[in-house]
Amino acid sequence: MSDKKNEILHVGIDLGTSRSSISASNGQRHVIESYVGWPLDMVARRVLKKPVLIGREALENRSMLDLHRPLEEGLIKDGSEKDEAAVRELLRHLLSLVGVDPDSRNGRVRAVVGVPAEALRVNKQQVRKALQNAVDSLLIVSEPFAVAYGIEALLHTMIIDSGAGTTDFCVMNGRLPTEEDQRTLPQAGDFVDETLTRLVRGRYPEAKFSVHMVREWKEAGSFVGPPKNPVVVTAPVNGKPTQLDITQDMRQACESILPPMVESMLDLLSRVQPEYQEKVRNNIVLSGGTGLIRGLGPRLEQELQVVGGGKVRVVKDPIFVGSDGGLAIATDAPDSDWEKLSA
Amino acid sequence: MANVDRVKRQLLHDLVQQNVDLAEGRLPRTLRKRRRWTPATRIAAGILFAVILLGSSRLISSRLVSSQSNRQIPEPTAVQARAALNRAPGKVAAVAPASVPLPAAPLQPVDAAVFPLAVRKIVVDAGHGGGSTGTRTPEGMLEKELTLDIAERLRRLLARQSFEVVMTRESDHDVSLKERGALANRVGGDIFVSIHLNWIENRRSRGIETYYMGTTDDPYLNRLAASENRESGYSLTDMRRLLDRIYAGVRQEKSHKLAETVQSALFQSLGKVSPELQNRGVKTAPFIVLLTTDMPAILAEVSSMSNEGEARLLTKPLYRQYIAEALAKGIRSYAESVEETPEVAPAARKESR
Repeated sequence: MSDKKNEILHVGIDLGTSRSSISASNGQRHVIESYVGWPLDMVARRVLKKPVLIGREALENRSMLDLHRPLEEGLIKDGSEKDEAAVRELLRHLLSLVGVDPDSRNGRVRAVVGVPAEALRVNKQQVRKALQNAVDSLLIVSEPFAVAYGIEALLHTMIIDSGAGTTDFCVMNGRLPTEEDQRTLPQAGDFVDETLTRLVRGRYPEAKFSVHMVREWKEAGSFVGPPKNPVVVTAPVNGKPTQLDITQDMRQACESILPPMVESMLDLLSRVQPEYQEKVRNNIVLSGGTGLIRGLGPRLEQELQVVGGGKVRVVKDPIFVGSDGGLAIATDAPDSDWEKLSA
Repeated sequence: MANVDRVKRQLLHDLVQQNVDLAEGRLPRTLRKRRRWTPATRIAAGILFAVILLGSSRLISSRLVSSQSNRQIPEPTAVQARAALNRAPGKVAAVAPASVPLPAAPLQPVDAAVFPLAVRKIVVDAGHGGGSTGTRTPEGMLEKELTLDIAERLRRLLARQSFEVVMTRESDHDVSLKERGALANRVGGDIFVSIHLNWIENRRSRGIETYYMGTTDDPYLNRLAASENRESGYSLTDMRRLLDRIYAGVRQEKSHKLAETVQSALFQSLGKVSPELQNRGVKTAPFIVLLTTDMPAILAEVSSMSNEGEARLLTKPLYRQYIAEALAKGIRSYAESVEETPEVAPAARKESR
């Protein structure tokens, strides 16, 4: 019989603005929308039968909830106790999905949590605080570093991790990236959503739609460059479901993140030691949900022509690449190091 | 493969160390002052020291030989001594070389401008700390964290330019205003630079401003000073004594110059990154931390945490680095300006002919 008390579970968590994922050493992997909601009143509590709802369930019942998305631009909002509580709930829920009961643990849990490259120390402290007592040991890493570690792109590589809140750039040169090796842009998925919302509202002022609908449209039909198929969505106009052609708006919204993205990529490249610049140019890795925009990789390659060309590859599993990287770090770190890192 | 494993091991080691620092509330190593010398550096320093020692002993012996063979005072030295006297007629009581016959001058106060002392030691004061958190953005950024981060960056930049830097605090703990001033005086700082972040009632404003000691009629500035002076560690009697220092002429003049140089560097540099930045200029206000220091002292409000855009920029290490670079540039310009040999006034020049 195995001694459950001494069993160690390693987990990697990618705490994202829009989605958060977890990968565990017991083989389980889960992704949830980063939403937490509390029933608005007694009636809602009676209907929902839960004190707190998380992820898709929270999103679907949002009309009855005090809904929080506790991360903004990749950072934990700290405006109210509710947002701090939401982060705590989110992390605990992720742990529960892989079989960890944060309140009565049987074994030991070692967690690696990925945060945006430029998260302030105060934000990292908040993650520590949120996971206190929920895990035994905790390691906080920059998200693009977790991605690089997971795919073993540790030398002469540039990681562009574009999520909802931020686009993180990180040049890996065999050492822990410093601030000079990293950049974070606020232009990412949420920025595309806002732009698309504005454009569609301008084109179809009578149409009624929410930011959640816009997000779904984007996930289904985002692209840069010439369109392959028209993007047609359905939204109520004067109460009647109507088909709207948003092809041009979708293209414009998705391409709106290109100028700052290209500028940051070229700027970081120019700071790489000259003898390694070509290697890095040919080793650019695109990850994160926004990295899935169709045509984004080839378009970045096109922009690299001005500095002699390069190669951009999109990771195979952008949703889990961060948490898988975290898990790889967790399992590779020796026991002696984990002992220094009690949560 | 072995190479990848080695890289991974090193990365994990550094990562764990970074996290241990975070858990214990220490700054990341990249932002800390390096105190340890590697064996290679030690050897290099030893060789350098030996070379300097040898070089200076040769220089001394050659000077001795030349002074024995020719006892005349070299022309430039005598000219320089006279020029110094003529620059401030009736004001100098400098010690001249014994071999130069100079007219006796009455003992009078020395004009500081005659001796352009170099700025070598800079006291960098990271505003707030410990229980004194300073202002806070809705996103939870604390002024005390940001000022320390910028101060550490400034220290590294100044150290690279061969300045000696003394920090009033190096971690997140309380240091009273009294202690900050006392430390600056005790270590003999040449200038004192206190870093703060503004909170402006008009939240659309992205103002930066620099203060030096003085009084003000502006009720807003008085409120600001009262708020910053809280928990100063001074009694009422001390305060009266301190207020007498407000009009200490030369120091105030130099503080004014330092404030202008730093404010100009801040606005010019940061304006490129934050185009809507407002230059709120150089101002006087009775901040205790400026009052208690014996050297030229300024308090720079380097950004406005009350403005959403600035607060967002402050989350970026690169922006904090720009702020530190602008401060370093301003300090450097001031240091260079006081190190320039002052020109001989026209009247004095006539007399010296």
